[in-house]
Amino acid sequence: MASFVILNILIPWIFALCVYFFKKDIITNFLSFLLLPILAFLSFKIFYGNLPIYIHTSKFFDILMDIYDFGLLFFFLYVGIKHKNAYVTSLALLQITLLIIVLSILPSSSTANIYVDKLASFIYIIVALVGTPIIIYATKYMDYNEKNKHKFVAILLWFLGVMNFAVSVNNIEWFFALFETTTLASYALISFRKDKEAVNNGLLALWMNQIGGVAILIALMLMVKQNGYYYFTDILNHPKNVAIAALGFLSLSALVKGAQMPFQNWLLGAMVAPTPVSAILHSATMVKIAPYLILRIAPVIHNTLLAKLLIITTGFVFVSAAVIALTQDNFKRILAYSTISLLGLMMLTAAVGTPIAITASLILILFHAFAKGFLFIEAGILEKAFHVKYITQMKRLIEKAPLTMMFIFFGFLNMTFVPFGAFVGKWMMIEEASNFLTHGSYILLIVFVGAGSAFLSILYMKVLGISVRKAHGIENIKFIHLPKTFNFISFWYYLFLLSMAIFIAPLISNFIVSIAKHLTNYHINIYSSNLSLTINNSTLYFWQILGALIILTLIHILPYFVKFKADFVQPYNCGENHPKYLGTWDFECIKKYEPFLMAFSIALFIITVVLGGGLL
Amino acid sequence: MKLNKFRKKSPWILHYNTGGCNGCDIEILASLAPKYDIERFGALNKGNPKQADILLVTGPVTKRCKDVLRRLYLQMPEPKVVVAMGACGHGGGVFRNFYHVENGVDNIIPVDVWIPGCAPRPEALIDGIVEAIEILQTKSKEKEYIRNHNEIIDKLGAKDD
Amino acid sequence: MINLLITIFAPVLGGFVFGIERIIKARMQSRIGPPVLQPFYDFFKLMDKRAYIIHSLHALMGIMYFIAEWFTLAVLLLGNDLLIAVFFHVIAVLALVIGASSVRSPYSVLGGLRELMHMISYEPLMVLMAVSFYLITGSFDIKTILSFNGYPIFQMPLVFFAFLLVIPMMLQKSPFDIAEAHQEIIGGPEIEYSGPFYEAVYTGKWIEYIYVFTFVFLFGGNHYWLGILLVIFTFIFVNLLDNSTARLDYRKMVKFSWFVLIPLAVLNIILIAMWR
Ligand code: SF4
Repeated sequence: MASFVILNILIPWIFALCVYFFKKDIITNFLSFLLLPILAFLSFKIFYGNLPIYIHTSKFFDILMDIYDFGLLFFFLYVGIKHKNAYVTSLALLQITLLIIVLSILPSSSTANIYVDKLASFIYIIVALVGTPIIIYATKYMDYNEKNKHKFVAILLWFLGVMNFAVSVNNIEWFFALFETTTLASYALISFRKDKEAVNNGLLALWMNQIGGVAILIALMLMVKQNGYYYFTDILNHPKNVAIAALGFLSLSALVKGAQMPFQNWLLGAMVAPTPVSAILHSATMVKIAPYLILRIAPVIHNTLLAKLLIITTGFVFVSAAVIALTQDNFKRILAYSTISLLGLMMLTAAVGTPIAITASLILILFHAFAKGFLFIEAGILEKAFHVKYITQMKRLIEKAPLTMMFIFFGFLNMTFVPFGAFVGKWMMIEEASNFLTHGSYILLIVFVGAGSAFLSILYMKVLGISVRKAHGIENIKFIHLPKTFNFISFWYYLFLLSMAIFIAPLISNFIVSIAKHLTNYHINIYSSNLSLTINNSTLYFWQILGALIILTLIHILPYFVKFKADFVQPYNCGENHPKYLGTWDFECIKKYEPFLMAFSIALFIITVVLGGGLL
Repeated sequence: MKLNKFRKKSPWILHYNTGGCNGCDIEILASLAPKYDIERFGALNKGNPKQADILLVTGPVTKRCKDVLRRLYLQMPEPKVVVAMGACGHGGGVFRNFYHVENGVDNIIPVDVWIPGCAPRPEALIDGIVEAIEILQTKSKEKEYIRNHNEIIDKLGAKDD
Repeated sequence: MINLLITIFAPVLGGFVFGIERIIKARMQSRIGPPVLQPFYDFFKLMDKRAYIIHSLHALMGIMYFIAEWFTLAVLLLGNDLLIAVFFHVIAVLALVIGASSVRSPYSVLGGLRELMHMISYEPLMVLMAVSFYLITGSFDIKTILSFNGYPIFQMPLVFFAFLLVIPMMLQKSPFDIAEAHQEIIGGPEIEYSGPFYEAVYTGKWIEYIYVFTFVFLFGGNHYWLGILLVIFTFIFVNLLDNSTARLDYRKMVKFSWFVLIPLAVLNIILIAMWR
């Protein structure tokens, strides 16, 4: 079993090297297609194998890791000096200093450095099923007048391996190294086009994520000082006497990685890179480290002040990112804001920490990964094949790009509507939180979840509204020929999402609940019978799932096929000729509140770390 | 079941003033108000051609609004009845042969019921509506056309784009 | 059994409610008003009209709105979870809004966008209401709530009050008939539907009446007489409000909902949670 884990990490790296050195289209395409079945097989094998897996490594690897750490940090320092960026330079210096202190006080320990449990293998599965198709997609995407295709694909492949590695380490010092490696990967990918804007945004991503690295180092120092251990498993085994401040700093790094406000800018900046970068950052890798980290420490912080403050902070981000998204007009930016918002929800549910809440968090992670990967891929297709970047350019999209439009519609439906995962997550969370409304944060949670989901749905409806607008019939739809790779990837996600929605009850009660059970060691009162899902005493019946699914499927597919036999008339415009173009609201009135939302989120951030971490 | 007997129970009215003095319109509003209350016959002032049965036109039809009147008429689903109200609508009334008018509704769209008077009393209006309902019941769902339909239809911008 | 019957005959029932409402409204304005069966006369008349559509997508969305609305009611009455029913309602709004914004009529598009503003005003409150029912009766199940031996109305008066003022937003009544706004945007989302397709939207609105008043009825617990009294009171109150107030701006509606009604509901929930 251990060899599978190692293969899971190494195979993407080997493939990356091959792609990088051969620079041949056929090899790149073949390897990226090959990776999908391999990773899928390995991850499922690990998931259903004997878990948890502990892998002890020799002292040699520890030293190697330390050397790698320093190499990485000096590289950051070099980048900072080269681009004359004060933030990167000073943070790199700070990190080096802190790392030296940490290494000097680090006691030796016999705990295994690599620890793979169900949560880690769950992330493997997501990486395999969501991440790899994005690489296949990238091989085609980069053919549209982009440079350095092979290098790009190689970095993406390497990134998947890093992600697999990052979620399977146990040693927090190693975790720091991998955390910073994902930072490096995001820097390399965001500044891939090497123009001024790309480099600036890459540096932004770099220094913001470096703050997360600093937080991990401080957490490490506090942990070693107070408890003398620095392993996730040790923390979980001795929950009583863990330094709460250390956990506070760990969750700070999670918040930074998850691009929670006020650190949202790095994720927004990622859109200057080629679209597969956004797809992979938003769906399978990188930002998913944030909820992963909170899930790791969830059983320990359960019901502490830290958890409650985290709930308020992330819940606030959930609502306000959705509100700010309303004012945006760039399609990728809208998607980015909705990611930030939903990441807030994932961390919120993880921070609540009861078994059902953790299940909800896992559901959200899974479904969000699929839906967001899907949406970003469609955004890339829009950009390359139809030259659409802004929602104002999306008028009459339903005629121009029928298939892509249908997929975007479905992706949006997945993000809020009833039988899909995002809804189930929210529903479970509200049901669960209603049981313990003794603290203000839990009541706020309900308000946040209710309001945030309403805001997100109006956001999606607004975007959909502009792209279906049309004066007369959509009889003359032209199905434009798209590359086969694009269609394959789109249908891959589409069919996955559709089947997951139909079989959502068994999926949750068999697959996801087993992970949550593994994480919390409690019995979870979720079960399914006849495809109906029951949580505590409430049931989501199969006829409800099916009914909603049929209605929504009809809404997004039927327009292309139904043609009523009736007379066509003009739209009513007081008898005048109807306008040729109608825009939509840009919610300018909200824009002036943006600084306030920002200031408030900074305040919440500080409160979370200072009060939640018990620094006062 | 013969559905067309329900037509008389709910005549929905679209009211359009094509440039009259507003005297007629005030009478229409009076007929909606408590004293005459035409809603007791199920009539509603819809303000929307898509859902209306009776087009109630007042005024002499100025040049500016003749196309508007045509579009409104075309947007009303059959069966539909046009009621021209007031002397203006019949032949121009006090505005007859002015430089800017078309001398009555009948020059633009076919009219079914005429309500005389300047302005007609609400009783006369109600009488006209009752008359219109009677005509409505006998009409079929066949498509109806404006005067000079084929020449004008292009100008109205009703084409697909 | 009775739930099933109500669900199946919801359009008929809603039609009656709508007819009675038109009479009550007329009487409040000292008019006589149409007969009770007027909505059904309208219904049959519309069925007999020639079908005019803008395009098939738009017409289809009208029908989907009706189906989604009916299905939502079925979920509320036949399922066992209020929350799911609340979330289902969003599907109906989706169909309405997509339909409204798929045509190039400014009124319709504006109406669709305003409908969204309605949604952010009432949706969080509906969630809060479901939660407060849970706090009092210990279940989201409509059957348990209806057999709860107590008076939910007396334990959650503020939630009831907030809901009372949310109903005008859901049923498009003045002062919150912003999406429909007959004098301003001539019906908003429903403007472009005609004939049989308008009928679908029209009937969907009747079902919405039943959906909303079912929630009101729940406030009576197992004292059905109280529930019926509350429904009648709410019905008259909402119509009184409709007849005596002017329309507000949509910003005022959102602000009112967010800064007055939701805090009130939250306050009530805090009190209930502390009392237990
Ligand atoms: S008919 Fe007389 S009252 Fe009516 S609009 Fe013409 S001038 Fe005015």
